[in-house]
Amino acid sequence: MRLGQVIGRVTLSQTVPAYEGGRFLVVSPFDREHFQQGGQPPEGLSKQPSLVVYDDIGGGVGDTIGFIEGAEASAPFENPTPVDAISAALVDEIFYKPKK
Amino acid sequence: MIATRKHPSLEGWRLVICQPINGAGDPLGTPIVAIDSYGAGMHQHVIVTSDGKAARIAVGDNNSPVRQMITGIVDKTAEEEAA
Repeated sequence: MRLGQVIGRVTLSQTVPAYEGGRFLVVSPFDREHFQQGGQPPEGLSKQPSLVVYDDIGGGVGDTIGFIEGAEASAPFENPTPVDAISAALVDEIFYKPKK
Repeated sequence: MIATRKHPSLEGWRLVICQPINGAGDPLGTPIVAIDSYGAGMHQHVIVTSDGKAARIAVGDNNSPVRQMITGIVDKTAEEEAA
């Protein structure tokens, strides 16, 4: 799981039926510099490319979410579904104290 | 890391933020979040697997999206032993 900040939403008029019930969020993944700020929402975008994440737990713009990429992203679906990334956790609190 | 709202399969699991490191112990890439059943402490070295299948078996939910899992806590490496 990686962490990122929700920076937008994607609205679709026609989708694969399996997507119903969820929504798509545009997420800017945190890089090391963003983690350094601890619980504060990071300013600006990270250098990491933003991505579109399927969400069915209710993330909104400005929230920090944990998302999972790869084949595991489609695991929660009953049938094979074309999903690259899925949000798995809405982050309340981050405790991050790097050594260096 | 604390998250109230999460995939049901992650309920009860400790989620820890891990910084991948290179051979010299320097940070490599962005930190990742892994599930932890070993109670890894701050700044301990751990082994993290990204095997989703193993993690799904560990959480006991075949529909879980979980991927990264801590599989061990490092006591010491050969380099440390030699030093």
